[in-house]
Order: sequence, then structure tokens, then C-alpha cells
Amino acid sequence: MHLAPQQRQAMAKRPFQICTNCVMDTTDSVIAFDDKGVCDHCRTFRDQTLPNWHLDERGEKELGELVGRIKAEGQGKDFDCIIGMSGGIDSSYLTYLAKERLGLRPLVFHVDAGWNSQIAVNNIERVVDGLGLDLFTEVIDWEVMKDLQLAFFRSGVSHIDAPQDHAFFATMYKFANEHKVRYILTGANLSTECVRNPVEWMYYQSDSIQIRDIHRQYGTGSLERFPLTSILWHKLYLPYVQGIRVVRPLNLMPYIKREAMALLESRFGWQPYPQKHFESRFTRFYESYWLPERFGYDVRKVQYSSLILTGQMTREEALERLATPPYDKETIGAEIEFVASKLGITVDELNGYMALPRRTYRDFKSQRKLYDVGAKVMRLFGLEIGGKR
Amino acid sequence: MLRPRLIPCLLVHKGGLAKTVKFADPKYVGDPINAVRIFNEKEVDELFVADIDATRQAREPDYKLISSLAAECRMPLCYGGGVDKVEQVERIIGLGVEKVALSAAVIARPELVSEAAERVGSQSIVVVLDARQAGAGRYEAVTHSATKRTGLDVAETARRMQELGAGEIVVNAVDRDGMMQGYDRNLIAQVRDSVTLPMTALGGAGSLADFQSLFAEHGIIGAAAGSFFVFKGKYRAVLISYPNRTEKENLLNRARAGQ
Amino acid sequence: MIVLVDYGLGNIQAFANIYRRLGLPVATARTPQELDGARKIVLPGVGAFDWAMDKLNASGMREKLDELVLERGADVIGICVGMQMMARRSDEGKLPGLGWIDAEVVKFDTSGFNQPTHLPHMGWNDIKVTADDTLFRGIETPRYYFLHSYHVVPKSDAHVLATASYGGRFVAAVRAGNVYGTQFHPEKSHGWGISLLKNFAEI
Repeated sequence: MHLAPQQRQAMAKRPFQICTNCVMDTTDSVIAFDDKGVCDHCRTFRDQTLPNWHLDERGEKELGELVGRIKAEGQGKDFDCIIGMSGGIDSSYLTYLAKERLGLRPLVFHVDAGWNSQIAVNNIERVVDGLGLDLFTEVIDWEVMKDLQLAFFRSGVSHIDAPQDHAFFATMYKFANEHKVRYILTGANLSTECVRNPVEWMYYQSDSIQIRDIHRQYGTGSLERFPLTSILWHKLYLPYVQGIRVVRPLNLMPYIKREAMALLESRFGWQPYPQKHFESRFTRFYESYWLPERFGYDVRKVQYSSLILTGQMTREEALERLATPPYDKETIGAEIEFVASKLGITVDELNGYMALPRRTYRDFKSQRKLYDVGAKVMRLFGLEIGGKR
Repeated sequence: MLRPRLIPCLLVHKGGLAKTVKFADPKYVGDPINAVRIFNEKEVDELFVADIDATRQAREPDYKLISSLAAECRMPLCYGGGVDKVEQVERIIGLGVEKVALSAAVIARPELVSEAAERVGSQSIVVVLDARQAGAGRYEAVTHSATKRTGLDVAETARRMQELGAGEIVVNAVDRDGMMQGYDRNLIAQVRDSVTLPMTALGGAGSLADFQSLFAEHGIIGAAAGSFFVFKGKYRAVLISYPNRTEKENLLNRARAGQ
Repeated sequence: MIVLVDYGLGNIQAFANIYRRLGLPVATARTPQELDGARKIVLPGVGAFDWAMDKLNASGMREKLDELVLERGADVIGICVGMQMMARRSDEGKLPGLGWIDAEVVKFDTSGFNQPTHLPHMGWNDIKVTADDTLFRGIETPRYYFLHSYHVVPKSDAHVLATASYGGRFVAAVRAGNVYGTQFHPEKSHGWGISLLKNFAEI
């Protein structure tokens, strides 16, 4: 949402207000409420997302056609698609579906950015072994990842997990491009993600101009060994010139998180995580501690609101959970130490970054305008539903 | 009852973890600290970390890295690579490492074994013998990432090292490194017959069955592996694994039953 | 407050990390002043007996430790050679031990061994807890990592807390009043060790 600076300032100074339908509130500084106190996330979902989200026969048909195309494309090849696998619930369930229910022959693709939790590694092993699939991993050069993550800390912005996210996608795109794999399957889904993190909280991780600028100003080494993609390359060149597409099969069928977890647990001995995105120890630190403590952004509100809108959680339950702190006070000290020690800095230095003046993506070079144009085009042509704002 | 040991072997190359095939072509495996963390949670028996550049580059061990690894490790740690002086052994033990592995240095100067054992105790001195087939069923000790030949018989050298005060012998089959096609059982048997020290086999392990049959044959022995715990499948995807408690118990039980 | 005696040996960092992650206050002492007032002491150790005794004596903390343990009754736990040092003497060395426990340290007798591996005793071994003590409270199927060729023999059976089997049975843990010791390495024995260290902190 493009707001003039004065508008933005005005929004930021508003008194606290929470949506009457979900649990998003004014910590999302550009949130807009109607006269019933319902926020724009809910209204977007109801008016734009829902009508275009086909879970019935239309979805089944679309899914069937997609599967048909993937299989045709993959004939005679070792695998017909790649699945980005983090060990999390969405990608794990997707992998199971792809093999067992859709009859696809996926290559399970994992990007190791150096922060894998033991649970994640174990879950990947169990799913891959349990389904008899092949695994491919790409390990990001740790020295470069560390340098970039530290650069983000020093920059003062809120989207410090961009390096990990960007690396995941860039690596998958590069692989798909090199090996001419036409279909990349991801576990992204509306069921648990119809409400997205506000751009203000987490600016587009795919914006490589932003990454380069932050690194130029605060990084030390070279970015040469870091996998970089650009929005034009992977949103235009790859799909329209190379025919490489990212598809989200979980949007074409009813996806109930609780049921998915139960199935994975009983079938593969899959272990659940304390919270979404805890496959990566850095993401866990970032979402449960850094973001809420430093910026007041609690991503649980986003996640619970999605579950509320899709009927998987009640607003009361969400509010109850939000009343407890997002991180475990008993273990947070150890977590902070772990992150600091892994990044090669002291706890004091890490706390020092915590106290820096807060900055935003607007303080650095970005392709924000391009993203806004792109988002409008996507919506116009119905190419993508549930985008960020 | 004392159990046989199942030991991941991590190679450090340019500060990061790597894995070789026949001691060449190191493939980047990732951050050592995260690997140790994951192994902690998997309740690994003990860990062997070797710096594969230090000896060849004739430089000091990376004490900062060793210290971080030791602090993070919840199981015993053995470090090797670039150690050729008693002071270094002492320093490394002082950083919280349980055992120090010596290889090229003690082949060049065997007295180093006694000197070091006298200071830190035999139990902390591990001699690693990289072994290459030498024809007629014998094996020759090699050093410097298998680039230098010594003309010394491995089993005989192991016996000498025991006399000098070593606490453990690790025998590494160079020809099998990274191949994941099984241990060199002849080599292991030869060395086993020549020492009464704890012994560890390294080089070639490719499946849980390899560990099981090794334990079935030798009872108390260390089974070390690099590739097996770090790679998965035909694309050699990097993924850290290790049998959980139940899987390990089952493996040990089957080995004891002589299966 | 757990005080770790840093005399240059043993994995101080591992102990410190374990206690920090348990949320228990821990400090490291390198001088007698830093030891002052300590009520709970960990004496770690790895290495040969004389080397360890030398380092401890040279650290300047010897007298203070004697005072805290023998006169003020501070709880102390010796780990591996740290425990061996608490005996009167050891076959391994020439120097006298601390004498905090009436015991001596002898080499394993491997003459009757019918297995290819003799010494050192290296690896994970089960222990049998022989006295009902808070040190092992709540620890199921206790097993720990051992790395030694010498073992402690207390004069009195009353001082034996746990034994293990290697050749024959030998003493794996001791207690004489406020003086505790483990032959094995709890700081390197995963959850079993962490539980023991936690129990020690809560005595």
C-alpha cells in the first residue's frame, strides 16, 4: 500500500485497535478497519481470496490438470518436479501428497542455510525414507550467510530473515533452471497463510536490490557465493521464457493443518514443532523474540488470523495464546547465546543490535515500486491470490 | 556393560565441514557448530573432528574453532589435524577436548607419543593411521592427506604406538574413503590382532549393516564414519543422521546375537 | 551458585553451558579469591594424575579448596581425574592426592581379560547405583562415558555410590560426606549427565 509519509506517520500514531473478526491489530500500522471493526485483511480474504479459492470440484479439476501436465513433462526423466522441503508441516505434507495421492515423482529439495534444527533434519529424513524418495540438498556457504545476516542486523531493519528466505528460493530456481525442471512445488498455502505478514514487518525477501544495498553498506566479504535471484528473473523470465513455474498444490484441496500433522506423525514418526517456522533456529529466534521485542511485531497474530479465517482456530483461543509471551522465558537466554555464538559475535553485541534505531526497507534501495506494479497486474489477471501488502 | 562406539567423523576444510572421496574433492557440508548441535540432540556416542588442511599446510590448529566445538559438544570430542608438539596437545586438552589425534607427527617422531602421554595421560592420545593397500594383503601407512608414503606396515606401527603409550588406534582405509561400500575388514583384523588398545575403524561405512557386522565380529570396537552420517542417497544430499536410541539398541542386540 | 574450579584442565565451558542452560547460576574460579564463599564446587579433570595435581597446586587454589571442603563442608564433586585427585595417592603418579576421601587409585588389572581390548576403559558403560543417593535421583538406566586406565578404591564400602563393570566391578562414583566424585564424565554424557549435574546443584 503506497502511503505518503504524512499518511504513514498518522497511521503509526493511532490508538490501539484490534480487529473484531481476526486478531490483527494496529501493530500493523497500515491496517484499515470498517465500521464494524473488521480489518482489511479479513475483507480482502472474504471479497477477493475466497471467491477465487476453489476447494470443490473446480479445485479438483485444476489439480488433476496440473498433475497431468507435470507427469507429461516428466516422462523419461528421473523426476518430474522438485519440492522445496524444509522439514516443516506444509512441505512435509505436500511431499507425502505428491508421492502417494497425486502419483508424482518428486525430487525432494532442501536448502541448508546453517540453521537447521535437529527436529527438521530428523523430519526430512523420516519423510524421505518413509516415501522412498530421492533427496538433493544445497548447502549455502556459511561464511557468506553469516556475513549477510550480520549486515541485516546492523542495518536496523525488521526483515532480517530475508537472507534465509531469499537463499531458499534463489537456490531452487537456479537448480530448476539448470536442470530444466518445469515444476517447483511449494507448501505455501492459503489455509494457514491467507493473512500474510505486512510488508512493513517483512519486506519482500525476493528483492535482491535491497539485499545488495544492505550488504554493500554493512557487510564485509563478497556476496559472490550467495545465491541471488531477481524478481524479474523468477517472475517473468523463468515462467514465461523457460516455462518454469512455482505451483502451490495445497491451495487446490482442503488442507487442515491438524489432520495433516496427525497423519505425518502416525505414518512417518514426524515430530511437531512448537510453532510455525521453527525448523530453522534462526527463524525461531527471529519470529518469537527479535521481532516482537524490538519492533512489537508478533507474527502469531498473522498466523492465528489465517487459522481463524479458515475455521481452524477460534478467536478466543487465539487471544488466549496471544496473552502468553511469544518466547519461553526459561530458554531464551540460551537461544540468544546460541545465535550470538553461531554468528561469531558476543551476546552484548547482539543485544547492541537489538537497541539500534529502528529502520525500514525504505531506508535502503529497493524495487518496491516494481513489486506494487507487479501485484496490481497479478490481481488484475487473477494470476495470484493472497499476495502481501 | 561397555558398548561399542558409533562415531561420526567430521572433516574441517577452510573452516567449514567437508567430505572427501579417497581423500580428494572435498565437498562443502556446512557449518561445524550446527552439525555438533544436531549431533548433541541425536545423543551421539562421541565425535571425531579432523582438520584436513592443517598438516598439509603446516599450520597451527584453529584453536578458536576447537574451543567453540568443545564448548558446544555434549559428548566426548577427539580433535586431530596439524598437531606435532606436546604443547599443542596440552593446549587442546585444556580447551576441553577429551582426546587429541596424532598422525603424521608421530610417524615422523614416534617419541612424541610418550611425551604427550606423560603429560596428558595415555587415555587422551589417539594415533590415527591412514592405510593404503600395499600388496600381498599388507597395508602401508600414509600421511599428509594420503599424499606421502612411509613404507611402514600399519599393524606393526600400531603395535609400536601402543608400546610408546598411545591410548587408542584409529585405522583409516584411504582406498575406501567416501565410497560407502563397507569397511576394509582385513585391515581392521590385522590391526586388531596387533594391539590391546581400544581401536576404531574408519573408511568405507555405507550402511547400518556395516556397523552391525563389525560389532558382531569384534565386540568392543569403535565404528567411525564420515559420509554415512552426513550424506543421503544417490545425490549425496547433505543431511545429518544418526540412529536413535531404539535403532542403536536394536543394532547392538543383533550384533551381540551374532547376526 | 555452582563454582567451577578452572585450574587449566577439564571442560569448564561444557559445565558452564550445561548449568546456564538449566538456568542455574554458575561461576568460574581461577583464584582463591574467586573461590571465596563457595558452597557448591565442581572439580573437573582430564589427563594424567601428576600433571593434574601439578596444575592444581600451581593454581594457588589448593589451600582455599582444602579449607572450603574440609573445614567449611562445601559440597564438592570431582570428575574423572578430578575425583582421582581427591584420593590419597595414585598408581599413575608420584605426587600425593588431596586426601579428601580415604581411597587410593590403582590401575585396572587386565591379566584376566578375555577380550582383545584392554586399556584404557573407553566408551559408554552402564552403572549400577549401589546407594540411595540424591546424586542419581530420577535417572533411568544410568549410563555414562568413561575414559580412564586407573580406578579409585575407597577404603570403606560406605563411600561407594555406584559401580560399573570392566573386567570385574569397579567403583564409578563415590561419596564421603560432602565430597562426591564420578569416574565418568557427566558433562559429556548427554541427558544422563545433565540430570546428575542438576541433582548435584540441588543437594
